Amino acid sequence: MKAMSERSLSLVLPLASAAAIAVAWQLAVQLGEIPEVILPAPSSITENLLRSLPSLLHQASVTGREALAAFALAVAAGFLGAAAISSSKILREIVYPAIVTLQLIPKVALAPLFVVFLGIDHEARITFAALLSFFPVLISTAVGLANTDLSALWLCQSLGASTWRTFWSVRVPFALPHFFSGVRISSTMAVTGVVIAEFISAREGLGFAILAAGARSQTAGAFAAIALLCVLGLALYGAVAGLERLAIRWYRG
Amino acid sequence: MDTLALPLATAPAADHGFIQVRQARKVYASGDKRVEALSDVSFDVARGEFIAILGPSGCGKSTLLMMCGGLESATGGEIDIAGSRMTGPRTSIGIMFQDPTLLPWKTVLQNVMFPAHVLSRPDAEYRDRARTLIDMVGLHGFENKRPHELSGGMRQRVAICRALLNDPDILLMDEPFSALDAITRDEMNEALLDIWRHYGKTALFVTHSIREAVLLADRVLVMTRRPATIVADIRVPFGRPRDISVTETPEFTRLCAELRGMIEHGGGKRDRRPGDGPVLQPGRHGGQI
Repeated sequence: MKAMSERSLSLVLPLASAAAIAVAWQLAVQLGEIPEVILPAPSSITENLLRSLPSLLHQASVTGREALAAFALAVAAGFLGAAAISSSKILREIVYPAIVTLQLIPKVALAPLFVVFLGIDHEARITFAALLSFFPVLISTAVGLANTDLSALWLCQSLGASTWRTFWSVRVPFALPHFFSGVRISSTMAVTGVVIAEFISAREGLGFAILAAGARSQTAGAFAAIALLCVLGLALYGAVAGLERLAIRWYRG
Repeated sequence: MDTLALPLATAPAADHGFIQVRQARKVYASGDKRVEALSDVSFDVARGEFIAILGPSGCGKSTLLMMCGGLESATGGEIDIAGSRMTGPRTSIGIMFQDPTLLPWKTVLQNVMFPAHVLSRPDAEYRDRARTLIDMVGLHGFENKRPHELSGGMRQRVAICRALLNDPDILLMDEPFSALDAITRDEMNEALLDIWRHYGKTALFVTHSIREAVLLADRVLVMTRRPATIVADIRVPFGRPRDISVTETPEFTRLCAELRGMIEHGGGKRDRRPGDGPVLQPGRHGGQI
């Protein structure tokens, strides 16, 4: 009984706070007579969203596919990088400083260069977003792999287990919770990366839609695209959280 | 070792020298500091003997055990087991660690089967043996439980089964029961005596409990810190099968007292320098004899 009420509470409270914010927003715009161009009311954003839904959904599917591809690439690269770093001390000394230095560059500054390198198509945007979002996976997985229970590694060694077997049977399962915390951060960054790339080079996608609406001072249109972007990010994050729960359940039994 | 109260034990002639340790040394070097973890240790173990290595924490007894298991290399000296030099881990040697080291995502049965799993051996060949071992340690019905559903003693029972899965010739145990409470520890000692009756392997058992050493072993090797070496080699006069009631005999108490004196006086042979600290510093579970 108590668990049920706690669960419904964790559903009701966020919805209630969202509704409260929407109502306050609506009242503020109407009572404060704020011009539509500066801050459109939720009602006019909703109206705009419904009116241009078919075209916005198309833009969202473009952005969504690019974000998914970038995310998959980031997770794969981050995991492989972490595996490489944790398997060889020499590799770590060579690769790690370079990766950390790369992290220090504001990567948004690199976005225009990707147009030069890879053109103005999907590849450029996907690569940029992957570059932006792989780091959390790499770092957290590397930490997880390094924190494997030492006695478990001794056990594997005493049993004559190969490095490969030890990696998949012991190190990876131990690193799973760390891996997923990186993946969760990376999922939101992949969406961000694609939108930034779309600002620079795209002729479609939600980033482009926001830019186009802004240029025509259609603030409500821009907010409608942002709303869809939120839904997109939430869906990806939710999918990752679900996968994580499955993995942890398997892990904990 | 000329002034020992008891004569050095002599192993039976048959299979004498199944394990031979000769002048084994271990020095850890970090930067300019060199720490001698083990200096000049020599002993022989006959096949089927149960040896307890008794000493205070930090005296290098675990290091010695890991060297016998091929998990640590010797800085000097030799370790020969079953006639060949130790160069690395062998499947004919089972190891139990202080921590049960069970994999939390695997069931009891899967944990016991783990040695077969990592060597990609067919499950079918080992499953019956795994179940027999699990029944033997009294965990029948717990095959599909996960480690977090078990008590500390039960987890160590699973670890015993896992160490015995490959049917090793030698079982090495590194203070396996030191994290358990006194009552559970007695239970585990009885369980181990029972297992011993069935399997009769050669065993090295590291402990800092005098009582545990005398209860379990055929011979007790006494180690001290500074020098990190064996100062006495005592044969335990109790026969087998043995059970925990032996601890209530006056003979048992006398032998424990003798061993305690030996440890406190560093084997009674070397002058101790000021600042050496106590020879026996019980660890957090060192309250009991």
